[in-house]
Amino acid sequence: MTLLEFARGPGMQWALVIFLVGVVWRLVGSFLIARRRDLSKPKGTAYVKAGARSMLMRSIPPHELEKNIQFQHLSGYAWHLGFFATLLLFGPHVPFFQQFLGFGWPTLPNVVVLVIGGFTLAILIALVIRRIIHPVMRQISTLDDWIAVALVIIPLVTGFLSYAHVGVFGARYETMLALHILSIEALLVWFPFSKLMHLFYTFPSRYQIGVSMERKGVKA
Amino acid sequence: MSAVATDIQRLRAELRDRGATVKATELAPAERVARVKEVFARRLDGNMATYLETCLHCGMCAEVCHFYEATGEGKYTPIYKVEPLRRFYRRELAPMGWLRKLVMRDITPADLDEWQKLVYDSCTQCARCDMICPMGIQISPMIAVMREAIAEAGMQPAENKALAREVLEKGTLMGIGPEDYRKVAAELAAQGVVVPLDKPKASVVMLMSAMDALLFKSAIAATARIMNRLGLDWTIRTSAGDAAVFDWTSGDERAKATALRKIVAETIGAGAKTLIVPECDHGYAAVRWDGANVVGAELPFEVLSISEFVGREIEAGRLKVKPLPAGKSVTYHDPCKIGRWSGVFEEPRNALKAIGVEIREMESHAKTNYCCGGGAGLVLNERANKLRAGAFHIKMREADATGAGSVVTACGHCRMTFIAGAQHANWQKPIESLVELVAANLA
Amino acid sequence: MRKEQTLGEVMAANGVSRRGFMKFVAATTSLMALPPSMIGKVANALENAKRPSVIWLPFQECTGCTESLTRSHAPSLEGLIFDTISLDYQETIMAAAGHQAEEALAETMKANFGKYLLAVDGSIPTKDKAFSCIGGKSNYDVFVEAAKGAAAIVCVGTCSSFGGIPAALPNPTGARSVTEVLKEAGIDKPVINVPGCPPIPTSITGVLAQYLTFGQLPELDHLNRPKAFYGQNIHDRCYRRPFYERGEFAETFDDEGAKKGWCLFKVGCKGPVTYNACATVKWNNGAGWPVEGGHGCLGCSEPGFWDWGGFYKPLSQGQWGGWKTLGVAAAAGAAIGLASVAVTRSRQAKAREEAKV
Repeated sequence: MTLLEFARGPGMQWALVIFLVGVVWRLVGSFLIARRRDLSKPKGTAYVKAGARSMLMRSIPPHELEKNIQFQHLSGYAWHLGFFATLLLFGPHVPFFQQFLGFGWPTLPNVVVLVIGGFTLAILIALVIRRIIHPVMRQISTLDDWIAVALVIIPLVTGFLSYAHVGVFGARYETMLALHILSIEALLVWFPFSKLMHLFYTFPSRYQIGVSMERKGVKA
Repeated sequence: MSAVATDIQRLRAELRDRGATVKATELAPAERVARVKEVFARRLDGNMATYLETCLHCGMCAEVCHFYEATGEGKYTPIYKVEPLRRFYRRELAPMGWLRKLVMRDITPADLDEWQKLVYDSCTQCARCDMICPMGIQISPMIAVMREAIAEAGMQPAENKALAREVLEKGTLMGIGPEDYRKVAAELAAQGVVVPLDKPKASVVMLMSAMDALLFKSAIAATARIMNRLGLDWTIRTSAGDAAVFDWTSGDERAKATALRKIVAETIGAGAKTLIVPECDHGYAAVRWDGANVVGAELPFEVLSISEFVGREIEAGRLKVKPLPAGKSVTYHDPCKIGRWSGVFEEPRNALKAIGVEIREMESHAKTNYCCGGGAGLVLNERANKLRAGAFHIKMREADATGAGSVVTACGHCRMTFIAGAQHANWQKPIESLVELVAANLA
Repeated sequence: MRKEQTLGEVMAANGVSRRGFMKFVAATTSLMALPPSMIGKVANALENAKRPSVIWLPFQECTGCTESLTRSHAPSLEGLIFDTISLDYQETIMAAAGHQAEEALAETMKANFGKYLLAVDGSIPTKDKAFSCIGGKSNYDVFVEAAKGAAAIVCVGTCSSFGGIPAALPNPTGARSVTEVLKEAGIDKPVINVPGCPPIPTSITGVLAQYLTFGQLPELDHLNRPKAFYGQNIHDRCYRRPFYERGEFAETFDDEGAKKGWCLFKVGCKGPVTYNACATVKWNNGAGWPVEGGHGCLGCSEPGFWDWGGFYKPLSQGQWGGWKTLGVAAAAGAAIGLASVAVTRSRQAKAREEAKV
């Protein structure tokens, strides 16, 4: 079995199984932890509206809170958008999703995706450097942070290399493609055990604070 | 003003001396860790679980924390201050805990020593970090759990321990108890201000604050004059204890519960429909949000802060005020626990507008307001002097930028911090109390 | 009788003009990636080459490779050069049969021991040595015997090179490639793989031509394929590559994209992972090649192509197990999650109970 056969075969299968088992395990295991019943009289009760508002407005913080973190804030959104654009709008990626969903969608020309991916990679590298030198990031970074960012950067790099038919250490295209697919599988396998789970937690968490602050009469 | 600042210094010294008499914890290190974990286990709820699962370590919370801004030290990152809670959750309550145990170390006694300082000296629970987190993590309630756990392990600062012990054993705060309330009432009666104490029945119960009794009797007088002007059937119950429910400073849940139960029982005993908390933001938030939960039933009365109450009465047209001559400009400092914790933003501002002052808002105001730096007991914590000064500097800068003539606030705790901070920084901006300003301009 | 003749003489006798011969030489030289200055040398060497002895053993094969080589519309130079080599044993096309043929084989092997070129098409069944026996002898034994005396072995087609279709899962005959069997039998001989299903005829003759010209094996890649024919990636040389770059793909075989000749990646083209000369040499005297015919490359010159999950499955797809498998995984996750919550809740309830006392 070649590397590519493993990546497209059992590798993909197991990565998806581990991903799903882990994600559901963690979501169920955390969301169902008992919540405290609050007997205090709420100031506001428009919980759904407040929760929805928080889910949206957390992306647009007030200026006085954001002014020290504008770079981090904008770069954060930029690389996420870039990453998802690269993931979803690159033609050859669509069949991957098509196999689950049964439908595809229009994609961008490769050169556009390349530019977006390049920017994404550049931002990620800048953020890694920031994580290395910034006192706060040094203080709070854990192994998971480094692994997670590596697992996001590696697919981009292997993607570029396999796209450009540039083999590293003499690796041929099929090897680079296999490494690219394996890097995504590594991402899927690590996903449920890591901070990457914020994909699923962010909006519930934002909803929670919206509701919690609505009780206190604060639009958060 | 300098007299008050001197008083504050005296209080701090007094507290430090009392703290010195409190024995260091006698618990074995392992027992401390075990107790901390028990608190974590019982206090962690589903919301916190989601928050602790979500954190990305992006560090944005640090960038809105006055202590990080003042020092540039990474350890003051808000979410880092709850690291032991996160560690416990991840290892022992979270899904996949058994996997994490393989790679994640346990909480150590040394951790507790370190975090004791982080949660007691370098966090005012102002909750500004709650406002920025892009993941919507509410850090402040977790800080409360951290404080409680540290207190349960007997590791809170000796001063806080002394205060908690006083609340539990004597029912007084900073030595102020029913006797002193009576003294204050008599003193004010001599000035012609009636403060009705211990009426068996009243529709409104008002709480007394030790800080006011010690430093700001004028605030008590102002409150009494407003209540009397409204013609309310009100009283202060001497046995209700102090408004400054000291969970914020001591972290001691038993002390807090004891104090809250007394307040609730006395209010119900008076048959009151309304409980008004004086200018004390911690007391207000504690009664407002924890009262019902401590007694285990919804409260049969309404809980209001004095600034909220005054603003509401003015708006309703029941409390008449006369406008000041034009030209007075103020900036309003939202006390964290009244503002961000409890959503009281409009009422105090409406009161100020009614008396005709120009409100010049600071860049960070209302829900993004900067804490004065003295919240959660830091104003009385000598170890926090330097941090407090750094945070206060940020506050001064924002207040100065408004060009307003004075700073108005609605919390004795903030007021103390401002006065002491201004003294330390030689800052000339007058600090005013909202209730006093309103009472001085009653029509 | 013909053994003393040179290739040049044979060709002349068969009516191949000098001009036609030189055209073939030029094409072959270029395919071997030699500089044009070598053309004269190649022509000279070819003309004067003695005909080496070649034994051709077919095992589990479909004869497609032989067809590819022999079935041309007109007698081609490739066909002729094939005719001129001393093909002493080729079951499929030789006149002799049965014991007569077996004797010819034994005789050639004995006479040319250590010198003959062994060409193999078809994979070798190894399971029980019971499949595809000839005259009671298993393919395995026939091959091992022949391999021992070979100067070199040329594997014609993917089956002998890598196992091919007979080795597709579940591989009932235990089909193996020549390389695998040599390894198992402990025989060390140079192997040239000329894979393809079938290989381009020019690739086969090109290899033979080089062996005849220089008496040496061509330069090989990591899969022992001649770099001259397998050094280039189909995708890199594909005339539809610009559509890939523009993100223009045929989604099905009858949509607008297919009609417009857009990239076939999404309908399963394996060009990006396939190395062969199809896109440049083409088939049927340059008439076309699969992608030009509107079908994606199957990757037939690559090991394992038969088990890549389907010819129409794009490279970016793989084995994902279907929703049922994933549903089971999610259900398992939920079950573990519920168990975890139960443990957590009871731990918390205990802590709360103790705090009350």
